[in-house]
Amino acid sequence: MRVRAGLWAVLAVVVALSGVWAAHRGRVAFPVIAMAPGHCILKTAEMRRTHMMLLRAVREDIVRRDARDTRFRLTHCVACHVERTASGRFVPVNAPGQFCASCHAYVGVRLDCFDCHAAVPARKGFTAGTALQAAFRIPRALRGSGGQGPGGQP
Amino acid sequence: MSDGSQTMEPRDEEGGGHEPDALRRKLLKLAGAAVALTLAPGVTVLARDLVVKGSGGRKAPVRYGLLIDANACKTGCDACVRACQDYNGLSHDPGPDNAQWIRKVTITNPKTGFSRSFPVMCQHCENAACVDVCPTGASFRRPDGIVLVDKHRCIGCRYCLMACPYKARSFVARNVSDQKPWAPRGKGTAEGCTMCVERVEAGKLPACVAACERAGHKGMVFGNLHDPKSAIAKRLSEVATTTIRADLGLGPSVHYRGI
Repeated sequence: MRVRAGLWAVLAVVVALSGVWAAHRGRVAFPVIAMAPGHCILKTAEMRRTHMMLLRAVREDIVRRDARDTRFRLTHCVACHVERTASGRFVPVNAPGQFCASCHAYVGVRLDCFDCHAAVPARKGFTAGTALQAAFRIPRALRGSGGQGPGGQP
Repeated sequence: MSDGSQTMEPRDEEGGGHEPDALRRKLLKLAGAAVALTLAPGVTVLARDLVVKGSGGRKAPVRYGLLIDANACKTGCDACVRACQDYNGLSHDPGPDNAQWIRKVTITNPKTGFSRSFPVMCQHCENAACVDVCPTGASFRRPDGIVLVDKHRCIGCRYCLMACPYKARSFVARNVSDQKPWAPRGKGTAEGCTMCVERVEAGKLPACVAACERAGHKGMVFGNLHDPKSAIAKRLSEVATTTIRADLGLGPSVHYRGI
């Protein structure tokens, strides 16, 4: 009898804790991902899973092996995914609620790229257009189709 | 060592003294004195500057370098310094922890009064001390001769700052904002002149060289030291030049005239 009562008590505690956990989970804003105009350079699901690996591999190529014509450049990510305010100013991609920050806040992964890298494009000329020139070298089969739907649902 | 057969001789002279340090010293002396050293039949290392190790005697196709003409450099002109700061997003203020990737230096001979002002930056050495001492491999030399910090690997130990005889490296001690996309820099990493690697790869001149040209002084020549047809190689073959602290044997890529 006492064993059974103990088990019930444990179950009650677990249920209560999961409720607390769920409530806590609800407090983290669901990511809002604004789609960049035109094509994503990879399919959304693929990019979501592999962007950190791509960036890590590419940073070696760019910095150490002088291979700068790569498609997966952080500057290109920023150029396409940065948002503008009504007055036309760029909002840093790592600002709360922005493309990079909203997902990273949701999954609880610290985003340190922009401790060193610029989180806004340099000048108005270098925006989605420039980045897309690079993206168009990607085989069509691999290319995602951003800008058409709410691809940001995890 | 493949040249063991030749370099064993000194030990014989020592009568088997078994002093590795003495032997090493003798070997180093021997190696230093030799201009051409035969490693094996048919393989000869000439000067280290000319031949890439392990390349079968093939010359590296590219080694970027600078020639700075101190005779053309104007005292008081800091066009190159400002251009560097503008392009790389550095501060114009000479604050205690603001980076100086390039700085103007004035030297005077107190006996004769002869004075020259010229810019000094990372000398992009062939045997760079910063690369030697870096414990993580963050400090490295690219195949084209440009010496860089891979800030992804830099742990901020500042050995390179200590090792560099040209004081070309600096340390970012505070959080940085408003970086340029082509010049990422952040707290806790070492940094220095990158020879404007992005511009060079795009076929442009480094910012300092372009600025010197714009200012009408033409005191800096940039180019490929290994291409005999390049402007810098031609100029180096015509005029007497030197490198700063050539005695250290680091093999700088930055050459000076008139100092």
